[in-house]
Amino acid sequence: MAEDTIRKIKWFWAWQDEQEEAWLRSMSQKGWHLSSVGLPCIYRFRAGEPRDYVYRLDYQTFSRKSKQEYQQLFRDVGWEYIGEMSAWQYFRKEVKEGEPPEIFTDVESKIAKYKRILPFLWFFWIILIAVIPARGISIDNPYPWWGVIQATQVFTLLIWLFFTYVIIKLTLRIRQLRRL
Amino acid sequence: MLRDDTNRYLPLTESTYYMMLTLIEPLHGYAVMKKVEEISKGTVKVGPGTLYGAFTLLEKEGLIVKVKEEDRRKSYVLTPKGKNLLMNQIKRLEIMTQKGLSVIDAL
Repeated sequence: MAEDTIRKIKWFWAWQDEQEEAWLRSMSQKGWHLSSVGLPCIYRFRAGEPRDYVYRLDYQTFSRKSKQEYQQLFRDVGWEYIGEMSAWQYFRKEVKEGEPPEIFTDVESKIAKYKRILPFLWFFWIILIAVIPARGISIDNPYPWWGVIQATQVFTLLIWLFFTYVIIKLTLRIRQLRRL
Repeated sequence: MLRDDTNRYLPLTESTYYMMLTLIEPLHGYAVMKKVEEISKGTVKVGPGTLYGAFTLLEKEGLIVKVKEEDRRKSYVLTPKGKNLLMNQIKRLEIMTQKGLSVIDAL
């Protein structure tokens, strides 16, 4: 990899998108501009003159055609499209005088963004809850693969707990916004 | 006029209200954003994330419809159901404003 690019791996929870935006802005202020994003949590930065770019994240899934229309809409008002990471859409715009630009201009649409994530989470949550009791967690040792099966069960349970945690935190974030 | 099944959408958010007002004629997203700022006398600005989210929902609910597409920009216009909803919203706002104006001197 060339000297003028760096790659960072950093984890942000779904309700921490504002922290993520702030982190990307601070990178740009140091002269590292986001050039692409990718799974898992990979951010690529290119070196350049320090600039005050703000980054904004949306959450959208769509067909290729709608995506072109979507990107055009943002481009029309000066937003540069950077990329997508598991349905999170990354945009940036340079701060001119005054307030940092926003892509969401009211609380309702910010809430709607988080609400678009929830159905996916619930989908996996329900699938996992169906899978766990189907195989069961038992303490007796009836067959030779017992250890492996128990390990996958525990693993599935941990993933289920992960989804439960994300759903709760995201719901709390929505409530917090609603009070504003 | 259609039978009234649009009350469940009320009240509209301020942004959605203004966006729907502009769609009395076919417009694409960028034009809607410009026009909302203009007709609201600068009190309401609509960002592209807010607009796209609102348009997706309005289209899904049959309140607006796509009429034209050129250079990746789609134009939308109100449907009869959308007009009906907007009419009900305006009536509600009128009641609110009238009442407000009647007490304004006492404030």
